[in-house]
Amino acid sequence: MSKETNLNYRLERGHGIILPDAEVGLDVSGNVARHIFVSHAHADHLPRDRHMHVYASPATARLMRVRGFQGDVTELAFRQPVEFDRCRVTLWPAGHILGSAMIEVETDAGRVLYTGDYKTPPSPVTEGFACPEATDFFITEATFPLPIYRWRPHEELFAEMRSFASEALGEGYTPVFLGYNLGKAQEIMHGLAPLGVPMQIHGAGYELCRVYEEAGIALGNWEKYDRATVQDGRILITPSSSLDAPMLRNIRRKRVAYVSGWATHESRRVQLTIDKLFPLSDHIDFFELLELTEKLNPRKVYITHTPNPRVVQHYLAERGIASQPLEMEGYEDD
Amino acid sequence: MKMTDAAFQSSYGVSFRRFCEVMQRIAETRGNNRKISLFADYLRSLPDEADVALAVQFAGEGAFSSVSGKRASVGHRTVAVCAAGFCDIDYELVFRACRTATGSASEAIEKLMENLPAAIAKRKPALLSLTETEALFQRLEKERSREGKQALLTEAWTQMTPAEIKFFIRVMGQGSLRIGFESRSITAALAAAFDHDPEDVRYARMITGSLGRTAVLCRRNELSSARFRLFQPIAFMLASPVESRAVEDLTAYLAEEKFDGMRCQLHAEGGKVALFSRDLNEITESFPEVVADFSAKMMPAAVLDGELCVFRDDTIQPFQELQKRMGVKKPGAGVLKKHPVVFIAYDLLFVEGQPLFGEPLKQRREQLETLCEAHGIRRSIQFEIGEEGDVERFFDRALAHGNEGLMLKHPESTYEYGQRRKSWLKVKKPGGTLDTVIMYAHAGSGKRGGTYSDFTLGVSVRDDERYEEEFIPIGKAYGGYTDEELKKLNQAMKPLIADRFGPTYSLKPGIVVELEFDGIQVNRRTKAGYTLRFPRFRAIRWDLSPADAGTLRDVERLAEEKLTADRTPQKGHRSFR
Repeated sequence: MSKETNLNYRLERGHGIILPDAEVGLDVSGNVARHIFVSHAHADHLPRDRHMHVYASPATARLMRVRGFQGDVTELAFRQPVEFDRCRVTLWPAGHILGSAMIEVETDAGRVLYTGDYKTPPSPVTEGFACPEATDFFITEATFPLPIYRWRPHEELFAEMRSFASEALGEGYTPVFLGYNLGKAQEIMHGLAPLGVPMQIHGAGYELCRVYEEAGIALGNWEKYDRATVQDGRILITPSSSLDAPMLRNIRRKRVAYVSGWATHESRRVQLTIDKLFPLSDHIDFFELLELTEKLNPRKVYITHTPNPRVVQHYLAERGIASQPLEMEGYEDD
Repeated sequence: MKMTDAAFQSSYGVSFRRFCEVMQRIAETRGNNRKISLFADYLRSLPDEADVALAVQFAGEGAFSSVSGKRASVGHRTVAVCAAGFCDIDYELVFRACRTATGSASEAIEKLMENLPAAIAKRKPALLSLTETEALFQRLEKERSREGKQALLTEAWTQMTPAEIKFFIRVMGQGSLRIGFESRSITAALAAAFDHDPEDVRYARMITGSLGRTAVLCRRNELSSARFRLFQPIAFMLASPVESRAVEDLTAYLAEEKFDGMRCQLHAEGGKVALFSRDLNEITESFPEVVADFSAKMMPAAVLDGELCVFRDDTIQPFQELQKRMGVKKPGAGVLKKHPVVFIAYDLLFVEGQPLFGEPLKQRREQLETLCEAHGIRRSIQFEIGEEGDVERFFDRALAHGNEGLMLKHPESTYEYGQRRKSWLKVKKPGGTLDTVIMYAHAGSGKRGGTYSDFTLGVSVRDDERYEEEFIPIGKAYGGYTDEELKKLNQAMKPLIADRFGPTYSLKPGIVVELEFDGIQVNRRTKAGYTLRFPRFRAIRWDLSPADAGTLRDVERLAEEKLTADRTPQKGHRSFR
């Protein structure tokens, strides 16, 4: 194996990265490489071309189909390397949402680990988290790239979410949890499941929940949002985009919780008119990111999906690790 | 040392930590009534009235009570740099990115204190009591140097949890705690906690001018003692700049000329007279001729609100003359003769055992006229505004008298002590004067060689989120001072010198100069974004500290004011009688 210090890559229009030496496309939006891999089923990582051939984990394949993908998906199991002409590819469970995978690409030029979106310790509604011992080129997201972000354990936050919900219900209010439909909604449901209270979920999230249960993840007692019954001792789970929609306006007595890594910021309380902020994220935090990078001991780190790569770079440099930001479109909030 | 549970419980009860936890809960609670009841429960649980007073003051006023005039005077940048050092992070690169992401320095600091190993290792939360926390603020106020203030901050934070540190910084800033819980809710909580009528609590607050003092009266069940007492000053009613308020009908107001003097509250009964300044300090000794004048009148118990002015040759003399009297404890016969001061009344707050605050202005005015008539007291002349155009005419006339402008007062308004609302409006000469701080001194040349005679002056951006400095330059001025004043200035500079660049000294903030200028121009090439036209010294304000300096916001407001038309004096008109 050669000792290149830089990775040969190309950024793709829209989103995604191409590794030309391996003939691999990672989270690209069109049919632009010989082998295309999808890390997970969030929109900013999915192909816009709905009819091409891609590789993905089994759960991602199912979620993609629910979300309208009609192309051909070759399902790859985690930790099972697949050989191609010019590379070997392995999916590693990424702990972000169900099906989420980190993609390891090995060529003569070295090992590349592309994280997609990831979280360690993993979200409890995923296949867990695992990664290779080491890598040469580490392409990592850094959605939360500052030392103000350090996540508390899931169980601790779940317990607080349960007390928030029971207290609201006890005082005659409908608890509303704001979280996006794929991943965060199911995490919330899993955390609240021990309460045994019926939960209603926004229509777009409803179908996705089935995929979770088929994968053996308990989401408790849940049903589709029903305007007629939502205020009858139910918990409502819906994306924050519905804050101004009739769905929430119709509920006069409610207590609203915002569940997101961005809930770290007090300003979100006022911006969204929120009763409670739960900083529960499905992205890796700043400290875990540094720790994992050090463990992987890469030749170079490429930072994507970040509002500010400079601080991470500063800390990596202190550890003697070279890095550079990777300008990519399609960077989105949580 | 490990505390026993009982010991922990009792120290926790009066701790700053518990106060912060209550504040955080209030922040996380929606609905005013729920917030109020949370705070009321907390106040009721405090064992000591001193703790109740501090909790209420921290929540509503800050580290110091508003009437004390004190401030911890720690700038944003001092706090931020100190926090970055405490957490062992790079200030420019890391701290600023965190603050930008959070949108609040104190909140970013809270998170960093919680997350960073260096900060965690240093912090040994000690469960400081409210009184211990107040003592820290007192020490910060007394400490002059930035290094000293940073050492004190570090000492404080070492003993605190991250949430305590966040609220410590916010309380220290004398501003809002940003928990959606303002003054009105705090008095409501006091009322709920100790079972009083909220109106009575608000009244006591106005009389005492202090939330802490009000809290004590609530707890002792002595609200009724919050009565006005002769020879105890009460907070002054303040005026808003007319351009800052939306006023529908100016003709509903009464106008008076605005004297360019010193606001004063005069208490008198028989031969006894006392004078109080706007910051409620007693200034009786400084103006013996006023005292002599009023004690000879043998008035009934009365409190007058008015202005001290130097009055000579039937003319109100410029403010600079009055300045020669301000702060002089026992003026000599020469000064008294050269700069004789009179008191011109314009409001009556109390007469013959009867408080008048609650009465409308027109009734107070009637009684004022009667009293003044009977005892020969100078009072401002009020005139009605027939049409909007009168305001401008009266204003020009006022300037011709050497007065500052106009006061517009609503005849139906009560005396709103300590408040700045639209019942009183001030119309001032636009672009006139600004209190600034000397930032740099430049060596003079020619006649002024050998002295530092040119000065770069700055305005405060201490509370301005857009800047990190405490002061930024607004203009360069020379002249307008006497040789003697310049000599004194050069002496006073010496201990403030921070750095030297060739013929220029950089000075620590310490000397306040009242600048006079012709106008303000937008100038985007300067840090402030404005330059002053023809700035010159109007007075060196030895009586003011840098904390009193004007702010960039003031400059921005002044810049928006329009220039007025030409001024033509009008003979035979008087501004008081």
